[in-house]
Amino acid sequence: MRLKRCAQGISLLVILLFACALILDDLAILLAAGTLLAGLCGLGYSFDRRFRHAVASVRVERSLERAVVRTGTTLRVTTAITLQVPAHMQASISEILPAGVVVQDGETAASSGTSPAPVTFRLAYRITPVVHGTMHFSGVTLVVRDNFFENSIVLSAEPFRGPVLSVQPRGLFEPSGRGLTAETREIEKMAVLSGLGVRALREYYAGDDLRRIDWKLTAKHNKLFVREYTGVVNLPPLIVVDLPWRGTPYPADAFERMVAAVAGMVEHSTTMYQYSTVLLISGPNILYFIIEEKDLQRSISALREWMHPVERTAHFYRMTDRSDLRRRIRALEIQSGEIPDPSTEKFISSLKKQSLISLKAQQTHVFNAQVARTLSPLTVNEVYLFSLFLGDASHLVQLIRQAKAMKLRVHVRTPKIPDLLSSPYAPGRLGADTVEACA
Amino acid sequence: MNLPVRNDHGFFLLLVAGVLIFTLVARPPSWYLYLLLLVVFGIVLHATRTWKDRIFYILCAGQPLVIALSAVLVWAGLFAVWMLAGIVLAALGMLASADDWRTYAAFCGAALVIAAGIDASGHVLLPLLIIGGLTAVFAMVCTVREYRFRKQYTGAPP
Repeated sequence: MRLKRCAQGISLLVILLFACALILDDLAILLAAGTLLAGLCGLGYSFDRRFRHAVASVRVERSLERAVVRTGTTLRVTTAITLQVPAHMQASISEILPAGVVVQDGETAASSGTSPAPVTFRLAYRITPVVHGTMHFSGVTLVVRDNFFENSIVLSAEPFRGPVLSVQPRGLFEPSGRGLTAETREIEKMAVLSGLGVRALREYYAGDDLRRIDWKLTAKHNKLFVREYTGVVNLPPLIVVDLPWRGTPYPADAFERMVAAVAGMVEHSTTMYQYSTVLLISGPNILYFIIEEKDLQRSISALREWMHPVERTAHFYRMTDRSDLRRRIRALEIQSGEIPDPSTEKFISSLKKQSLISLKAQQTHVFNAQVARTLSPLTVNEVYLFSLFLGDASHLVQLIRQAKAMKLRVHVRTPKIPDLLSSPYAPGRLGADTVEACA
Repeated sequence: MNLPVRNDHGFFLLLVAGVLIFTLVARPPSWYLYLLLLVVFGIVLHATRTWKDRIFYILCAGQPLVIALSAVLVWAGLFAVWMLAGIVLAALGMLASADDWRTYAAFCGAALVIAAGIDASGHVLLPLLIIGGLTAVFAMVCTVREYRFRKQYTGAPP
Protein backbone atom coordinates (compact mmCIF):
# COMPACT_ATOMS: atom_id res chain seq x y z
CA MET A 1 0.00 0.00 0.00
CA ARG A 2 1.43 3.32 -1.05
CA LEU A 3 0.63 6.74 0.37
CA LYS A 4 -0.55 9.35 -2.11
CA ARG A 5 0.52 12.98 -1.92
CA CYS A 6 -2.20 14.04 0.50
CA ALA A 7 -1.47 11.15 2.89
CA GLN A 8 2.25 11.85 2.65
CA GLY A 9 1.59 15.45 3.70
CA ILE A 10 -0.53 14.32 6.66
CA SER A 11 2.17 11.83 7.70
CA LEU A 12 4.73 14.61 7.66
CA LEU A 13 2.40 16.77 9.75
CA VAL A 14 1.99 13.94 12.29
CA ILE A 15 5.75 13.50 12.60
CA LEU A 16 6.26 17.23 13.07
CA LEU A 17 3.56 17.39 15.73
CA PHE A 18 4.99 14.38 17.58
CA ALA A 19 8.46 15.96 17.49
CA CYS A 20 7.12 19.27 18.78
CA ALA A 21 5.13 17.49 21.52
CA LEU A 22 8.21 15.60 22.65
CA ILE A 23 10.48 18.64 22.59
CA LEU A 24 8.02 21.01 24.26
CA ASP A 25 6.49 18.29 26.47
CA ASP A 26 3.07 19.59 25.42
CA LEU A 27 0.10 17.27 25.82
CA ALA A 28 -2.12 19.47 23.64
CA ILE A 29 0.17 18.93 20.64
CA LEU A 30 0.29 15.22 21.47
CA LEU A 31 -3.49 15.07 21.36
CA ALA A 32 -3.51 16.72 17.93
CA ALA A 33 -0.78 14.36 16.64
CA GLY A 34 -2.31 11.25 18.18
CA THR A 35 -5.79 11.86 16.82
CA LEU A 36 -4.35 12.72 13.40
CA LEU A 37 -2.37 9.47 13.41
CA ALA A 38 -5.45 7.54 14.49
CA GLY A 39 -7.40 9.11 11.64
CA LEU A 40 -4.71 8.21 9.12
CA CYS A 41 -4.54 4.62 10.38
CA GLY A 42 -8.33 4.41 10.26
CA LEU A 43 -8.36 5.62 6.66
CA GLY A 44 -5.66 3.09 5.82
CA TYR A 45 -7.61 0.26 7.42
CA SER A 46 -10.78 1.33 5.61
CA PHE A 47 -8.89 1.45 2.29
CA ASP A 48 -7.42 -2.00 2.88
CA ARG A 49 -10.86 -3.45 3.64
CA ARG A 50 -12.36 -1.97 0.45
CA PHE A 51 -9.31 -3.04 -1.57
CA ARG A 52 -9.83 -6.64 -0.45
CA HIS A 53 -13.47 -6.39 -1.40
CA ALA A 54 -12.52 -5.15 -4.87
CA VAL A 55 -9.96 -7.92 -5.35
CA ALA A 56 -12.39 -10.60 -4.21
CA SER A 57 -14.90 -9.41 -6.80
CA VAL A 58 -12.58 -9.86 -9.80
CA ARG A 59 -13.59 -12.52 -12.33
CA VAL A 60 -11.54 -13.11 -15.49
CA GLU A 61 -12.62 -15.02 -18.58
CA ARG A 62 -10.08 -15.04 -21.39
CA SER A 63 -10.43 -16.66 -24.78
CA LEU A 64 -8.02 -17.00 -27.67
CA GLU A 65 -8.93 -17.09 -31.31
CA ARG A 66 -6.70 -20.12 -31.71
CA ALA A 67 -4.76 -22.22 -29.23
CA VAL A 68 -1.99 -23.28 -31.60
CA VAL A 69 -0.36 -20.87 -34.02
CA ARG A 70 2.89 -20.46 -35.84
CA THR A 71 5.40 -17.72 -35.08
CA GLY A 72 4.36 -14.41 -36.59
CA THR A 73 0.67 -15.27 -36.83
CA THR A 74 -1.65 -12.59 -35.48
CA LEU A 75 -4.53 -13.77 -33.34
CA ARG A 76 -7.31 -12.09 -31.40
CA VAL A 77 -7.59 -12.30 -27.61
CA THR A 78 -10.80 -11.41 -25.81
CA THR A 79 -10.87 -10.96 -22.05
CA ALA A 80 -13.96 -10.24 -19.98
CA ILE A 81 -13.07 -8.88 -16.53
CA THR A 82 -15.82 -8.40 -13.98
CA LEU A 83 -15.02 -6.11 -11.08
CA GLN A 84 -16.86 -4.28 -8.33
CA VAL A 85 -15.29 -0.98 -7.34
CA PRO A 86 -16.19 0.08 -3.77
CA ALA A 87 -17.30 3.59 -2.91
CA HIS A 88 -14.80 6.51 -3.13
CA MET A 89 -12.33 4.42 -5.14
CA GLN A 90 -11.07 4.17 -8.69
CA ALA A 91 -9.71 0.99 -10.20
CA SER A 92 -7.70 0.19 -13.29
CA ILE A 93 -7.01 -3.29 -14.52
CA SER A 94 -4.56 -4.43 -17.16
CA GLU A 95 -3.61 -7.68 -18.82
CA ILE A 96 -0.24 -9.30 -18.08
CA LEU A 97 0.88 -10.42 -21.50
CA PRO A 98 3.24 -13.30 -22.02
CA ALA A 99 6.81 -12.47 -22.92
CA GLY A 100 7.52 -12.78 -26.60
CA VAL A 101 4.29 -11.38 -27.97
CA VAL A 102 3.68 -8.02 -29.61
CA VAL A 103 0.36 -6.24 -29.28
CA GLN A 104 -0.83 -5.21 -32.73
CA ASP A 105 -3.91 -3.23 -31.78
CA GLY A 106 -6.76 -3.10 -29.29
CA GLU A 107 -7.02 -2.33 -25.57
CA THR A 108 -5.19 -4.29 -22.89
CA ALA A 109 -6.25 -2.12 -19.94
CA ALA A 110 -9.40 -0.51 -18.59
CA SER A 111 -10.32 1.91 -15.79
CA SER A 112 -13.44 2.46 -13.77
CA GLY A 113 -14.77 4.76 -11.08
CA THR A 114 -16.97 3.69 -8.21
CA SER A 115 -19.57 1.12 -9.22
CA PRO A 116 -21.74 -0.48 -6.55
CA ALA A 117 -22.80 -3.20 -8.98
CA PRO A 118 -20.22 -5.43 -10.68
CA VAL A 119 -19.07 -3.92 -13.97
CA THR A 120 -17.66 -5.98 -16.83
CA PHE A 121 -14.78 -4.75 -19.01
CA ARG A 122 -14.29 -6.39 -22.37
CA LEU A 123 -10.70 -6.13 -23.57
CA ALA A 124 -10.19 -7.16 -27.17
CA TYR A 125 -6.77 -6.99 -28.74
CA ARG A 126 -4.60 -8.75 -31.29
CA ILE A 127 -1.19 -10.18 -30.54
CA THR A 128 1.58 -11.58 -32.65
CA PRO A 129 3.96 -14.11 -31.08
CA VAL A 130 7.50 -13.41 -32.18
CA VAL A 131 9.11 -16.43 -30.56
CA HIS A 132 7.95 -20.02 -30.42
CA GLY A 133 7.14 -22.06 -27.34
CA THR A 134 4.34 -22.34 -24.80
CA MET A 135 3.00 -18.98 -23.71
CA HIS A 136 0.99 -18.53 -20.53
CA PHE A 137 -1.40 -15.66 -19.98
CA SER A 138 -0.39 -15.17 -16.38
CA GLY A 139 -3.23 -12.99 -15.11
CA VAL A 140 -4.11 -9.35 -14.62
CA THR A 141 -2.80 -6.43 -12.60
CA LEU A 142 -5.34 -4.54 -10.51
CA VAL A 143 -4.59 -1.04 -9.23
CA VAL A 144 -7.00 0.57 -6.76
CA ARG A 145 -6.70 4.09 -5.43
CA ASP A 146 -8.59 6.67 -3.41
CA ASN A 147 -7.68 10.17 -2.21
CA PHE A 148 -5.07 8.94 0.26
CA PHE A 149 -3.80 5.52 -0.73
CA GLU A 150 -3.01 3.37 -3.73
CA ASN A 151 -2.46 -0.35 -3.89
CA SER A 152 -1.83 -2.81 -6.67
CA ILE A 153 -1.85 -6.56 -6.87
CA VAL A 154 -0.87 -9.05 -9.54
CA LEU A 155 -3.72 -11.53 -9.79
CA SER A 156 -1.98 -14.57 -11.12
CA ALA A 157 -3.67 -17.36 -9.17
CA GLU A 158 -5.38 -20.16 -11.06
CA PRO A 159 -8.76 -18.42 -11.66
CA PHE A 160 -7.07 -15.47 -13.36
CA ARG A 161 -4.58 -17.40 -15.52
CA GLY A 162 -4.80 -19.11 -18.85
CA PRO A 163 -5.41 -20.23 -21.47
CA VAL A 164 -2.09 -21.46 -22.83
CA LEU A 165 -0.99 -20.45 -26.29
CA SER A 166 1.20 -22.90 -28.14
CA VAL A 167 3.42 -21.24 -30.73
CA GLN A 168 5.00 -23.50 -33.31
CA PRO A 169 8.24 -22.44 -34.98
CA ARG A 170 8.33 -21.17 -38.51
CA GLY A 171 11.33 -21.54 -40.79
CA LEU A 172 13.30 -18.48 -41.74
CA PHE A 173 13.48 -19.36 -45.39
CA GLU A 174 10.90 -20.22 -47.98
CA PRO A 175 11.09 -23.73 -49.42
CA SER A 176 13.26 -23.81 -52.48
CA GLY A 177 10.45 -24.81 -54.82
CA ARG A 178 7.99 -21.99 -54.28
CA GLY A 179 5.63 -23.02 -57.04
CA LEU A 180 4.15 -26.42 -57.59
CA THR A 181 4.58 -25.96 -61.33
CA ALA A 182 5.91 -23.21 -63.52
CA GLU A 183 2.42 -21.73 -63.77
CA THR A 184 1.33 -21.73 -60.11
CA ARG A 185 2.48 -20.46 -56.76
CA GLU A 186 1.68 -21.27 -53.12
CA ILE A 187 0.02 -18.62 -50.96
CA GLU A 188 -0.66 -18.45 -47.23
CA LYS A 189 -4.43 -18.58 -47.54
CA MET A 190 -7.17 -21.01 -48.28
CA ALA A 191 -7.71 -21.87 -51.94
CA VAL A 192 -9.44 -24.49 -53.99
CA LEU A 193 -6.19 -26.25 -54.75
CA SER A 194 -3.84 -27.23 -51.94
CA GLY A 195 -0.11 -26.80 -52.11
CA LEU A 196 2.58 -28.74 -50.25
CA GLY A 197 3.50 -26.14 -47.62
CA VAL A 198 1.82 -26.09 -44.20
CA ARG A 199 0.01 -22.81 -43.65
CA ALA A 200 -1.33 -23.45 -40.14
CA LEU A 201 -2.04 -26.10 -37.55
CA ARG A 202 -5.36 -26.34 -35.75
CA GLU A 203 -7.38 -28.71 -33.65
CA TYR A 204 -9.25 -31.48 -35.38
CA TYR A 205 -12.93 -30.96 -36.08
CA ALA A 206 -15.34 -33.70 -37.05
CA GLY A 207 -15.32 -34.05 -40.82
CA ASP A 208 -11.68 -33.09 -41.33
CA ASP A 209 -9.68 -35.23 -43.70
CA LEU A 210 -7.90 -37.87 -41.61
CA ARG A 211 -4.94 -37.74 -43.96
CA ARG A 212 -4.25 -34.22 -42.79
CA ILE A 213 -3.73 -35.16 -39.13
CA ASP A 214 -0.31 -34.15 -37.82
CA TRP A 215 0.55 -37.25 -35.79
CA LYS A 216 3.67 -35.84 -34.16
CA LEU A 217 1.82 -32.83 -32.78
CA THR A 218 -1.11 -35.01 -31.82
CA ALA A 219 1.17 -37.29 -29.82
CA LYS A 220 2.85 -34.34 -28.17
CA HIS A 221 -0.33 -32.61 -26.99
CA ASN A 222 -2.49 -35.73 -26.64
CA LYS A 223 -5.07 -34.01 -28.84
CA LEU A 224 -5.82 -34.35 -32.54
CA PHE A 225 -4.27 -31.63 -34.68
CA VAL A 226 -4.64 -31.21 -38.42
CA ARG A 227 -2.48 -29.39 -40.93
CA GLU A 228 -3.87 -26.67 -43.14
CA TYR A 229 -1.99 -26.58 -46.38
CA THR A 230 -1.17 -23.52 -48.40
CA GLY A 231 -3.37 -22.61 -51.34
CA VAL A 232 -2.24 -22.54 -54.92
CA VAL A 233 -2.95 -19.67 -57.31
CA ASN A 234 -1.73 -18.51 -60.67
CA LEU A 235 1.43 -16.45 -60.78
CA PRO A 236 0.99 -12.75 -60.05
CA PRO A 237 1.82 -10.29 -62.82
CA LEU A 238 4.78 -7.97 -63.05
CA ILE A 239 3.60 -4.36 -63.23
CA VAL A 240 5.88 -2.04 -65.20
CA VAL A 241 5.22 1.69 -65.03
CA ASP A 242 6.90 4.02 -67.51
CA LEU A 243 6.96 7.50 -65.95
CA PRO A 244 7.06 10.59 -68.21
CA TRP A 245 10.11 12.80 -68.52
CA ARG A 246 10.05 15.99 -66.51
CA GLY A 247 11.47 17.91 -69.48
CA THR A 248 8.40 17.57 -71.68
CA PRO A 249 4.80 18.60 -71.05
CA TYR A 250 2.46 15.77 -70.25
CA PRO A 251 -1.34 15.46 -70.02
CA ALA A 252 -2.04 15.62 -66.26
CA ASP A 253 -5.51 14.07 -66.48
CA ALA A 254 -4.22 11.10 -68.47
CA PHE A 255 -1.35 10.66 -66.02
CA GLU A 256 -3.77 10.72 -63.08
CA ARG A 257 -5.86 8.03 -64.75
CA MET A 258 -2.77 5.95 -65.27
CA VAL A 259 -1.74 6.37 -61.62
CA ALA A 260 -5.21 5.27 -60.51
CA ALA A 261 -5.03 2.27 -62.81
CA VAL A 262 -1.60 1.28 -61.48
CA ALA A 263 -2.81 1.59 -57.87
CA GLY A 264 -5.82 -0.55 -58.71
CA MET A 265 -3.66 -3.19 -60.33
CA VAL A 266 -1.30 -3.26 -57.32
CA GLU A 267 -4.24 -3.62 -54.96
CA HIS A 268 -5.70 -6.39 -57.09
CA SER A 269 -2.39 -8.22 -57.21
CA THR A 270 -1.89 -7.95 -53.44
CA THR A 271 -5.43 -9.10 -52.73
CA MET A 272 -5.47 -11.96 -55.18
CA TYR A 273 -1.89 -13.21 -55.05
CA GLN A 274 -0.83 -11.84 -51.64
CA TYR A 275 1.90 -9.63 -53.05
CA SER A 276 2.73 -7.30 -55.90
CA THR A 277 5.85 -6.69 -57.95
CA VAL A 278 6.25 -3.28 -59.56
CA LEU A 279 9.07 -2.05 -61.77
CA LEU A 280 9.24 1.73 -62.16
CA ILE A 281 11.11 3.03 -65.19
CA SER A 282 11.34 6.31 -67.03
CA GLY A 283 12.72 5.94 -70.53
CA PRO A 284 15.76 3.64 -70.44
CA ASN A 285 16.27 4.27 -66.70
CA ILE A 286 15.23 1.81 -64.04
CA LEU A 287 14.11 3.90 -61.04
CA TYR A 288 12.73 1.59 -58.40
CA PHE A 289 11.79 -2.03 -58.03
CA ILE A 290 9.19 -3.23 -55.54
CA ILE A 291 9.85 -6.96 -55.25
CA GLU A 292 7.06 -9.20 -54.00
CA GLU A 293 5.75 -6.69 -51.46
CA LYS A 294 3.04 -8.23 -49.31
CA ASP A 295 2.06 -5.03 -47.50
CA LEU A 296 -0.34 -3.04 -49.64
CA GLN A 297 0.29 0.14 -47.63
CA ARG A 298 4.00 -0.02 -48.33
CA SER A 299 3.39 -0.59 -52.02
CA ILE A 300 1.01 2.35 -52.19
CA SER A 301 3.47 4.52 -50.22
CA ALA A 302 6.22 3.67 -52.70
CA LEU A 303 3.92 4.48 -55.61
CA ARG A 304 2.92 7.75 -53.96
CA GLU A 305 6.59 8.61 -53.65
CA TRP A 306 7.51 7.77 -57.23
CA MET A 307 4.45 8.40 -59.39
CA HIS A 308 5.31 11.77 -60.87
CA PRO A 309 7.35 12.94 -63.87
CA VAL A 310 11.05 12.35 -63.24
CA GLU A 311 14.36 13.50 -64.65
CA ARG A 312 15.93 11.01 -67.07
CA THR A 313 19.67 10.48 -67.04
CA ALA A 314 19.65 8.44 -70.25
CA HIS A 315 17.46 8.83 -73.36
CA PHE A 316 16.67 6.60 -76.34
CA TYR A 317 15.85 7.95 -79.74
CA ARG A 318 14.62 5.35 -82.24
CA MET A 319 16.91 2.85 -80.60
CA THR A 320 17.48 -0.25 -82.69
CA ASP A 321 19.03 -3.52 -81.65
CA ARG A 322 20.70 -6.27 -83.69
CA SER A 323 17.44 -7.94 -84.65
CA ASP A 324 16.10 -4.65 -86.05
CA LEU A 325 19.22 -4.12 -88.10
CA ARG A 326 19.18 -7.67 -89.40
CA ARG A 327 15.52 -7.32 -90.35
CA ARG A 328 16.34 -4.08 -92.15
CA ILE A 329 19.25 -5.66 -94.05
CA ARG A 330 17.08 -8.61 -95.13
CA ALA A 331 14.39 -6.20 -96.34
CA LEU A 332 17.00 -4.21 -98.30
CA GLU A 333 18.36 -7.41 -99.87
CA ILE A 334 14.89 -8.38 -101.01
CA GLN A 335 14.25 -4.90 -102.43
CA SER A 336 17.60 -4.76 -104.27
CA GLY A 337 16.71 -7.97 -106.17
CA GLU A 338 13.35 -6.61 -107.24
CA ILE A 339 14.25 -3.06 -108.34
CA PRO A 340 15.85 -2.78 -111.88
CA ASP A 341 16.67 0.94 -111.54
CA PRO A 342 20.49 1.20 -111.12
CA SER A 343 20.36 4.50 -109.19
CA THR A 344 17.82 3.10 -106.70
CA GLU A 345 19.84 -0.09 -106.42
CA LYS A 346 22.93 1.98 -105.63
CA PHE A 347 21.02 3.84 -102.94
CA ILE A 348 19.75 0.58 -101.44
CA SER A 349 23.22 -0.95 -101.44
CA SER A 350 24.51 2.19 -99.72
CA LEU A 351 21.82 1.81 -97.08
CA LYS A 352 22.67 -1.85 -96.68
CA LYS A 353 26.33 -1.00 -96.24
CA GLN A 354 25.49 1.55 -93.54
CA SER A 355 23.30 -1.02 -91.80
CA LEU A 356 26.06 -3.62 -91.88
CA ILE A 357 28.51 -1.11 -90.40
CA SER A 358 25.97 -0.32 -87.67
CA LEU A 359 25.43 -4.04 -87.03
CA LYS A 360 29.13 -4.62 -86.58
CA ALA A 361 29.42 -1.74 -84.12
CA GLN A 362 26.17 -2.61 -82.34
CA GLN A 363 26.49 -3.11 -78.57
CA THR A 364 23.97 -4.19 -76.01
CA HIS A 365 22.56 -1.19 -74.14
CA VAL A 366 22.77 -1.11 -70.35
CA PHE A 367 18.99 -0.81 -70.12
CA ASN A 368 18.48 -4.07 -72.00
CA ALA A 369 20.92 -5.84 -69.72
CA GLN A 370 19.24 -4.37 -66.63
CA VAL A 371 15.81 -5.47 -67.83
CA ALA A 372 17.11 -8.95 -68.55
CA ARG A 373 18.67 -9.16 -65.10
CA THR A 374 15.46 -7.88 -63.51
CA LEU A 375 13.11 -10.22 -65.31
CA SER A 376 15.13 -13.42 -65.22
CA PRO A 377 14.82 -14.25 -61.48
CA LEU A 378 11.11 -13.38 -61.33
CA THR A 379 8.49 -16.09 -61.35
CA VAL A 380 5.86 -14.41 -63.48
CA ASN A 381 4.02 -15.21 -66.66
CA GLU A 382 2.39 -11.86 -67.38
CA VAL A 383 3.63 -8.30 -67.61
CA TYR A 384 1.36 -5.27 -67.43
CA LEU A 385 3.02 -2.23 -68.95
CA PHE A 386 1.63 1.22 -68.14
CA SER A 387 2.84 4.17 -70.17
CA LEU A 388 1.68 7.52 -71.58
CA PHE A 389 3.68 6.86 -74.81
CA LEU A 390 5.04 10.41 -74.93
CA GLY A 391 7.92 10.90 -77.33
CA ASP A 392 10.24 8.03 -78.13
CA ALA A 393 9.08 4.62 -76.91
CA SER A 394 11.88 2.44 -78.19
CA HIS A 395 12.82 1.55 -74.60
CA LEU A 396 9.35 0.02 -74.28
CA VAL A 397 9.90 -1.95 -77.46
CA GLN A 398 13.15 -3.25 -75.99
CA LEU A 399 11.44 -4.14 -72.75
CA ILE A 400 8.59 -5.94 -74.48
CA ARG A 401 11.07 -7.80 -76.63
CA GLN A 402 12.95 -8.98 -73.55
CA ALA A 403 9.70 -10.12 -71.96
CA LYS A 404 8.58 -11.95 -75.06
CA ALA A 405 11.96 -13.69 -75.22
CA MET A 406 11.16 -15.08 -71.76
CA LYS A 407 7.75 -16.23 -73.00
CA LEU A 408 5.84 -13.70 -70.91
CA ARG A 409 2.53 -12.31 -72.04
CA VAL A 410 2.70 -8.53 -72.30
CA HIS A 411 -0.37 -6.34 -71.83
CA VAL A 412 0.02 -2.65 -72.59
CA ARG A 413 -2.21 -0.22 -70.73
CA THR A 414 -2.31 3.42 -71.74
CA PRO A 415 -4.83 6.19 -71.16
CA LYS A 416 -4.41 7.44 -74.78
CA ILE A 417 -5.36 4.65 -77.17
CA PRO A 418 -6.21 6.91 -80.20
CA ASP A 419 -2.82 8.66 -79.98
CA LEU A 420 -1.07 5.33 -79.77
CA LEU A 421 -2.82 3.94 -82.85
CA SER A 422 -1.58 6.83 -84.97
CA SER A 423 1.98 6.73 -83.60
CA PRO A 424 4.90 4.68 -84.93
CA TYR A 425 4.39 2.41 -81.89
CA ALA A 426 1.12 0.85 -82.96
CA PRO A 427 0.18 -2.35 -81.09
CA GLY A 428 1.45 -4.52 -83.92
CA ARG A 429 4.89 -2.92 -83.92
CA LEU A 430 5.16 -2.93 -80.14
CA GLY A 431 4.86 -6.69 -80.03
CA ALA A 432 2.47 -6.67 -77.06
CA ASP A 433 -0.22 -9.30 -76.77
CA THR A 434 -2.95 -6.83 -75.87
CA VAL A 435 -3.28 -3.06 -75.79
CA GLU A 436 -6.07 -1.55 -73.73
CA ALA A 437 -7.05 1.83 -72.36
CA CYS A 438 -6.73 2.53 -68.61
CA ALA A 439 -9.94 3.41 -66.86
CA MET B 1 -33.89 31.15 -0.42
CA ASN B 2 -32.32 27.67 -0.50
CA LEU B 3 -28.66 27.69 0.52
CA PRO B 4 -26.48 24.82 -0.67
CA VAL B 5 -25.83 23.51 2.85
CA ARG B 6 -23.67 20.42 2.99
CA ASN B 7 -22.51 18.15 5.80
CA ASP B 8 -19.17 19.93 6.15
CA HIS B 9 -21.03 23.23 6.63
CA GLY B 10 -23.04 21.64 9.44
CA PHE B 11 -19.92 20.40 11.20
CA PHE B 12 -18.29 23.79 10.74
CA LEU B 13 -21.28 25.56 12.26
CA LEU B 14 -21.17 23.13 15.17
CA LEU B 15 -17.48 23.89 15.60
CA VAL B 16 -18.17 27.64 15.56
CA ALA B 17 -20.94 27.22 18.13
CA GLY B 18 -18.74 25.03 20.32
CA VAL B 19 -15.82 27.47 20.25
CA LEU B 20 -18.11 30.42 21.03
CA ILE B 21 -19.70 28.59 23.95
CA PHE B 22 -16.26 27.55 25.21
CA THR B 23 -15.05 31.14 24.95
CA LEU B 24 -18.09 32.48 26.80
CA VAL B 25 -18.10 29.83 29.51
CA ALA B 26 -14.40 29.30 30.16
CA ARG B 27 -13.46 32.97 29.52
CA PRO B 28 -9.81 32.21 28.71
CA PRO B 29 -7.41 35.17 28.82
CA SER B 30 -6.56 34.92 25.10
CA TRP B 31 -10.16 34.46 23.90
CA TYR B 32 -9.49 36.41 20.71
CA LEU B 33 -6.97 33.73 19.62
CA TYR B 34 -9.71 31.09 19.26
CA LEU B 35 -11.88 33.40 17.24
CA LEU B 36 -8.92 34.31 15.04
CA LEU B 37 -8.03 30.64 14.44
CA LEU B 38 -11.66 29.90 13.75
CA VAL B 39 -11.79 32.66 11.14
CA VAL B 40 -8.56 31.41 9.53
CA PHE B 41 -9.97 27.89 9.45
CA GLY B 42 -13.20 29.14 7.85
CA ILE B 43 -11.27 31.04 5.20
CA VAL B 44 -9.15 27.97 4.36
CA LEU B 45 -12.26 25.78 4.27
CA HIS B 46 -13.86 28.16 1.78
CA ALA B 47 -10.79 29.02 -0.29
CA THR B 48 -9.66 25.47 -0.88
CA ARG B 49 -13.03 24.04 -1.92
CA THR B 50 -11.83 23.39 -5.48
CA TRP B 51 -8.24 22.43 -4.68
CA LYS B 52 -7.00 18.93 -5.35
CA ASP B 53 -5.46 18.06 -1.96
CA ARG B 54 -7.97 20.10 0.01
CA ILE B 55 -7.98 17.71 2.97
CA PHE B 56 -4.34 18.38 3.78
CA TYR B 57 -4.93 22.14 3.91
CA ILE B 58 -8.04 21.74 6.05
CA LEU B 59 -6.13 19.59 8.52
CA CYS B 60 -3.20 22.01 8.57
CA ALA B 61 -5.58 24.91 9.29
CA GLY B 62 -7.51 22.92 11.91
CA GLN B 63 -4.61 21.64 13.99
CA PRO B 64 -3.69 25.05 15.55
CA LEU B 65 -7.29 25.39 16.73
CA VAL B 66 -7.21 21.87 18.20
CA ILE B 67 -3.92 22.57 19.96
CA ALA B 68 -5.08 25.95 21.27
CA LEU B 69 -8.33 24.52 22.64
CA SER B 70 -6.76 21.42 24.19
CA ALA B 71 -4.07 23.57 25.83
CA VAL B 72 -6.86 25.01 27.99
CA LEU B 73 -9.13 21.97 28.17
CA VAL B 74 -8.44 18.54 26.62
CA TRP B 75 -12.15 17.86 26.10
CA ALA B 76 -12.55 21.10 24.16
CA GLY B 77 -9.71 19.99 21.94
CA LEU B 78 -11.38 16.59 21.55
CA PHE B 79 -14.57 18.31 20.46
CA ALA B 80 -12.60 20.25 17.84
CA VAL B 81 -11.00 16.97 16.65
CA TRP B 82 -14.43 15.38 16.25
CA MET B 83 -15.75 18.34 14.28
CA LEU B 84 -12.59 18.49 12.17
CA ALA B 85 -12.92 14.78 11.34
CA GLY B 86 -16.57 15.32 10.47
CA ILE B 87 -15.65 18.20 8.15
CA VAL B 88 -12.95 16.11 6.45
CA LEU B 89 -15.15 13.05 5.96
CA ALA B 90 -18.04 15.18 4.73
CA ALA B 91 -15.75 16.98 2.28
CA LEU B 92 -14.68 13.58 0.94
CA GLY B 93 -18.28 12.46 0.62
CA MET B 94 -17.61 9.68 3.12
CA LEU B 95 -20.61 10.33 5.31
CA ALA B 96 -23.21 9.13 2.86
CA SER B 97 -24.10 5.73 4.28
CA ALA B 98 -24.75 4.22 7.69
CA ASP B 99 -21.45 2.35 7.36
CA ASP B 100 -19.66 5.67 6.90
CA TRP B 101 -21.28 7.06 10.06
CA ARG B 102 -20.20 3.97 11.96
CA THR B 103 -16.64 4.55 10.79
CA TYR B 104 -16.88 8.14 11.98
CA ALA B 105 -18.22 6.99 15.34
CA ALA B 106 -15.35 4.51 15.64
CA PHE B 107 -12.85 7.29 15.04
CA CYS B 108 -14.58 9.49 17.63
CA GLY B 109 -14.31 6.61 20.11
CA ALA B 110 -10.61 6.13 19.37
CA ALA B 111 -10.01 9.86 19.75
CA LEU B 112 -11.90 9.76 23.06
CA VAL B 113 -9.64 6.99 24.34
CA ILE B 114 -6.53 8.91 23.26
CA ALA B 115 -7.80 12.10 24.89
CA ALA B 116 -8.62 10.24 28.11
CA GLY B 117 -5.16 8.71 28.16
CA ILE B 118 -3.50 12.05 27.58
CA ASP B 119 -5.70 13.72 30.21
CA ALA B 120 -4.68 11.10 32.72
CA SER B 121 -1.00 11.48 31.92
CA GLY B 122 1.19 14.26 33.24
CA HIS B 123 3.93 14.08 30.59
CA VAL B 124 4.27 13.38 26.88
CA LEU B 125 6.75 10.49 26.90
CA LEU B 126 4.59 7.64 28.22
CA PRO B 127 1.52 8.29 26.05
CA LEU B 128 3.85 8.89 23.09
CA LEU B 129 5.48 5.50 23.60
CA ILE B 130 2.09 3.83 23.93
CA ILE B 131 0.83 5.49 20.73
CA GLY B 132 4.05 4.57 18.94
CA GLY B 133 3.88 0.98 20.14
CA LEU B 134 0.25 0.59 19.13
CA THR B 135 1.03 2.07 15.72
CA ALA B 136 3.92 -0.37 15.25
CA VAL B 137 1.69 -3.31 16.20
CA PHE B 138 -0.99 -2.03 13.81
CA ALA B 139 1.54 -1.72 10.98
CA MET B 140 2.90 -5.20 11.68
CA VAL B 141 -0.55 -6.76 11.70
CA CYS B 142 -1.40 -4.97 8.44
CA THR B 143 1.82 -6.21 6.84
CA VAL B 144 1.17 -9.83 7.81
CA ARG B 145 -2.43 -9.63 6.64
CA GLU B 146 -1.36 -8.16 3.31
CA TYR B 147 1.29 -10.84 2.85
CA ARG B 148 -1.25 -13.60 3.38
CA PHE B 149 -3.76 -11.86 1.15
CA ARG B 150 -1.27 -11.49 -1.70
CA LYS B 151 -0.17 -15.08 -1.31
CA GLN B 152 -3.75 -16.20 -1.77
CA TYR B 153 -4.37 -14.23 -4.96
CA THR B 154 -0.96 -14.22 -6.57
CA GLY B 155 -0.52 -17.97 -6.57
CA ALA B 156 2.46 -19.93 -7.75
CA PRO B 157 4.14 -19.01 -11.02
CA PRO B 158 3.02 -21.12 -13.99
